Amino acid sequence: MTKEERLKKRHRAEKRFRFYGLTSIFVALLFVVILVQNIFSKGSSAFKKTIITTEVFFDQELLEIQNGASQEEIMEADFYDIMIENLIKAYPAKNRDEEDELLKLFSGDAEIEIKKAFLNDNKLIGKTITLDLTASDDIDQLHKGNYPRDLPEERRRISDFQLVIYDYFVENKKISKNFNNYFFNNGDSRDPELAGIGGALVGSFYSILICLLLAFPVAVLASIYLEEFAPKNKITDFIEININNLAAVPSIVYGLLALQILLATIQLPRSTPLVAGITLALMTLPRIIIPCRASLKAVPPSIREGALAVGASKFQSVFHHVVPLALPGTLSGTIIGLAQALGETAPLILIGMVAFVVDIPSSPIDPSSSLPVQVYLWSESAERGFVEKTSATIMMLLSFLIVMNFIAVYLRQKFEKRWN
Amino acid sequence: MSNVKIKSKNLNVYYGDKQALFDVNLDLNEKEVTALIGPSGCGKSTFIRCINRMNDVIDICKVTGNIEMDGININDKDLDVVSLRERVGMVFQKPNPFPKSIYDNISYGPKIHGKGETKSELDQIVENSLKKSALWEEVKDRLDEPGTSLSGGQQQRLCIARAISVNPEVILMDEPCSALDPIATAKIEELIDELKKTYTIVIVTHSMAQAVRVSQKTGFFHLGKLIEVGKTEKIFKNPDNKMTQDYITGRFG
Repeated sequence: MTKEERLKKRHRAEKRFRFYGLTSIFVALLFVVILVQNIFSKGSSAFKKTIITTEVFFDQELLEIQNGASQEEIMEADFYDIMIENLIKAYPAKNRDEEDELLKLFSGDAEIEIKKAFLNDNKLIGKTITLDLTASDDIDQLHKGNYPRDLPEERRRISDFQLVIYDYFVENKKISKNFNNYFFNNGDSRDPELAGIGGALVGSFYSILICLLLAFPVAVLASIYLEEFAPKNKITDFIEININNLAAVPSIVYGLLALQILLATIQLPRSTPLVAGITLALMTLPRIIIPCRASLKAVPPSIREGALAVGASKFQSVFHHVVPLALPGTLSGTIIGLAQALGETAPLILIGMVAFVVDIPSSPIDPSSSLPVQVYLWSESAERGFVEKTSATIMMLLSFLIVMNFIAVYLRQKFEKRWN
Repeated sequence: MSNVKIKSKNLNVYYGDKQALFDVNLDLNEKEVTALIGPSGCGKSTFIRCINRMNDVIDICKVTGNIEMDGININDKDLDVVSLRERVGMVFQKPNPFPKSIYDNISYGPKIHGKGETKSELDQIVENSLKKSALWEEVKDRLDEPGTSLSGGQQQRLCIARAISVNPEVILMDEPCSALDPIATAKIEELIDELKKTYTIVIVTHSMAQAVRVSQKTGFFHLGKLIEVGKTEKIFKNPDNKMTQDYITGRFG
């Protein structure tokens, strides 16, 4: 081979390598785009809900309370008759069967929505107001175009007569979409139009908070001790190897551990963010210790020597100089560890967070769900309305993860000191 | 004849199984500059790191023998290294200012030793230290800028100021000019000349010329042994040992 040939061959090899690299980046991006596009196209409609604009007349005869009733009285009062009487007027139905079909177009919370209107203004008796009532899941999906109406009637969840009413609503501009506050405020529900991630959000928040409070101080102190103070001997090596091993243990094993120790032995309340937080803290601990130690290691020894040489004690050199310099790396490692914990599902399923919880937890010892578990729960549900809810929850989860990772990167870029 | 400040007696240093220094007996005179020369890995740096017990940081390092400073053995297990390092300052090969402001770099030492209780006392210490290290005029208007923003030579003078700030008796310099250009080097050498009026200085250097320029006494190390020590003039003009002769004339090293 001549010199030129060899040179050409080397250039070709480099070109080939660049091509492979570019191709793999392109393929990776393509997958990301497909994934995001898929989730968005399925999930974005969940942020809107379909509402039916209905006139509601508060008939004194159908209510046992008066104008100016107190909150408790209203809460206890029965609004069922008011609801029925007003809803069947939304469309000129001819008989009982048609009225029943008409009523099914509204969500199961129509009575509560009417009651809430009265709670806001307790002098409505004898008056007629216009209310935006939530539509049932079937109508919601139909209106959003997620439900095919050209199927034969027996294979549809919506009857031909209901389609007629729907078309009547559309024609009279009684049906529209607005912001789906239920999705953010409500807990889980059997009815997709009423189901929300409120409970899962609060549950995830408590879990991650407890995880942070437990894991962060322990991980940081353990890292500082191991990196700066521990004698370099076989015991330290053994601990180091095992921390690395623990970080690789499948998360479901931590779930089993929590099930046995926290639930069976210590008898902590099942399905609660408290147990979830402790479990996630155990799981996250080694995952924070590793980046923590790495950032301590990255502080050049010359800084330690400089401090020691002016007479700082070991403790002072570590806490005055090394730790502040390692802090950005430590914090970003912690945030990434927490982001992983936020997305963790398996251990939470084992400690009972898959339970169907309607109420939004008011403390870490109330039964609760969490975002990833909510995704899992809804993805198993048959109703069409849960498909968009599942994707929308994934969108929420992903945006939290992206924000957390962004903060981590920002902390590192902005505050990390560079040497040389 | 000047007083002996530091006296090493049968000093042996081991890094694990490897012996780095063999029976070093060396006297360092007070308010004088002693230069240590020798090829890389000969133990010069190891020797000066024994004087402020910097070798304690290295787990596998073991030091036997005595180093007496003002007649007290500083290689004693019970000796408090913090107060020793207050008396023996050190300047490293590569400038290593803390990534903090110039002011904080210098005030750190006095602060942890409880010198300079008030702000004005600290200000005074910072100013004096910077003046002694000939950096004051260059940085007096930007004391709150990071020490790392200075040039290499300025950084090294900042490190010298930091060492001076706790008012030590001895300053150890481990090849302080090896990372600097000739102009910065000249400034540091001038500074050393000035500092020796107040401090006992030990400098490790690879430059014969530097040793000749700054030191009054020179020790030549080879393979962990102190081959020859004497007045700088004598070592460079008329060494007793053949090996010293070969080294200073550039025949090996």
